[in-house]
Amino acid sequence: MISLDFLAKKFNSFEQVLESKFSSYKDLLTSEEKSTLESTYQSLLKIYGETEDPWGLSVPKAKKSFEILYTIYRHYFKVRLFGKENIKNEQYMVISNHSGQIAIDGLMIGCAFAFENEPPRVLRLMVERFFTALPFINKWSSECGAVLGDRDNCLNLLKRGESLLIFPEGVRGVSKSTTNYYKVQEFTPGFFRMALKSGVKILPVAVVGAEEIFPYVYQASAVAKILKLPALPISANYFPLPSPIDIHVGKPIELPEDIDADSEDSLINPHIREIERVIQSMLTEGRKTRRPWAFSKKMNEDNGDE
Amino acid sequence: MNNKRSILIIGASGGLANILCGILAKRMPDARIIGIDSRKMKNEVDFDNYTFHRMRYTRRNFEKLFRENRFESIYQIGRITPPGGSAEERLSFSLVNTSKVLELAEKYLIKKFIMLSTYHVYGAQPDNPVFINEDYPLKVSIKHPELRDVTEIDALCTNWMWKNRENIETVVLRPCNIIGPQIDNTISRYLTSNMTPVPIDFNPMMQFIHEYDMANILFQALDKIPTGVYNVAPSETISLQEAKKITGTRDIPFPVFTLEVLSKAIRKIWPFPSYFIDFVMYSCIIDNTKIHQYIPEDIYQYNCRKTLSLIRKG
Repeated sequence: MISLDFLAKKFNSFEQVLESKFSSYKDLLTSEEKSTLESTYQSLLKIYGETEDPWGLSVPKAKKSFEILYTIYRHYFKVRLFGKENIKNEQYMVISNHSGQIAIDGLMIGCAFAFENEPPRVLRLMVERFFTALPFINKWSSECGAVLGDRDNCLNLLKRGESLLIFPEGVRGVSKSTTNYYKVQEFTPGFFRMALKSGVKILPVAVVGAEEIFPYVYQASAVAKILKLPALPISANYFPLPSPIDIHVGKPIELPEDIDADSEDSLINPHIREIERVIQSMLTEGRKTRRPWAFSKKMNEDNGDE
Repeated sequence: MNNKRSILIIGASGGLANILCGILAKRMPDARIIGIDSRKMKNEVDFDNYTFHRMRYTRRNFEKLFRENRFESIYQIGRITPPGGSAEERLSFSLVNTSKVLELAEKYLIKKFIMLSTYHVYGAQPDNPVFINEDYPLKVSIKHPELRDVTEIDALCTNWMWKNRENIETVVLRPCNIIGPQIDNTISRYLTSNMTPVPIDFNPMMQFIHEYDMANILFQALDKIPTGVYNVAPSETISLQEAKKITGTRDIPFPVFTLEVLSKAIRKIWPFPSYFIDFVMYSCIIDNTKIHQYIPEDIYQYNCRKTLSLIRKG
């Protein structure tokens, strides 16, 4: 009969094997990057503490994930951050275009705010409802700071002084067809009403380069419906391609004073369209300076300068 | 019959009620405290102003108790919790008993009715917001009909509360996980057992309240908390895996999403209530803002880690 001790030991050794596999990533980091990583970790520990918060964020538990994500950020997607000077030491609702079919853009924006910003911060990434029911993913994402994109959750987090990362395009953003790459889809209005309610400034962000990580082939809507998924884009590959990513941070958007969270759609919508326009123009500008890469070169030729 | 303040505790044999009886008897020496239960009293409450009666709530002598004592306040703490009894038995017992108590409370013009519900009424769901407030729908019985008794009693008392709000102050308390040396509930057994699986694929955040703190809040509810429904939980939260570490049990790592099937297959020999699997997968964190408008936040004598370490085995 298998004893409990035997099972516990087996599990521990499995964890150790995983740990050793992951730690080999660290060899890619330069000594300067390693010291950035360590000092960021120490700062985050001071800010967020050693214990878990009510949403499950735990800086000590997320340490390993931070190391892996930072390595990917630096050496796989070779992320460049522009407009860093626009990020002040205050609370923001970060609003970005969404792309890439799997939310790697969210992870990279999170890394930028954690590792390239002083003081570092964990952006609370809003995730879809189906995401929180997924085994392992739920646990890992909560430890790293992701939370269910629910209105009450957002308002409670804002009340506690946390900064949020929201993709108001939602599923429309990640399931874009090739012809719509880098075209901002219509934003849902919830984020703006929450900003008005909490008084937290909006910080626009544009991500260039994430669309090509998983090249789009087909949107399997019928299968997604059966599996109760919001979307199921079929990609040419399921291993992320190393498309270089640029993150552009715009100037904070001041909230209008003549409307409030309960104002009619007709008063709210023009402001939302304006934020869409700001992010669209950041994307268009950003594409001009992006680094050449197989897919992006072709895309730029096809789409011209929109 | 004298003019002493008279308080009835229904379900007085339970661990929590037992502590409450002691607190009431000690802190209110001029009041008459009467505990009733259909079970034997586990630990004697050694105060002259405390009396225990073993009886069923549906019998005729139950009303006699009301007639002779003219209760000013009632605590309804007794109910069968899963996995005890079948779902039908629990529903029938809880509803019949609670309706009888409410009927007598109205008839004999009591002033305060305090009902102990549970945070289980909200249900642990993947789409729960963190900090569920009292207005959140009671969703647990949608997925788990076996918990219908829990939501039905809560709803019954809440409706009764609004109907009688002019004459009777009614307080419905929905506490988080109550644990302590006297409490023998599902979560305590889960935390202190070496034979229960610990999820490797989920790690929900949880709230724990020490039995003494909960009893103290029940006591405070008598004079300090007005009519309404209140969540009861300390502000501190802790993940399930951390909690298991503190209670010092040996872990059996397990992908918990397979548990539901397993629990159905071996239900006869493994009394692991299927609803409880949701609570070890998804967070159900309640908002304590409303109750702390009336009682201070520093009422808790035990923090989360201390509370858990007190039930540590060995």
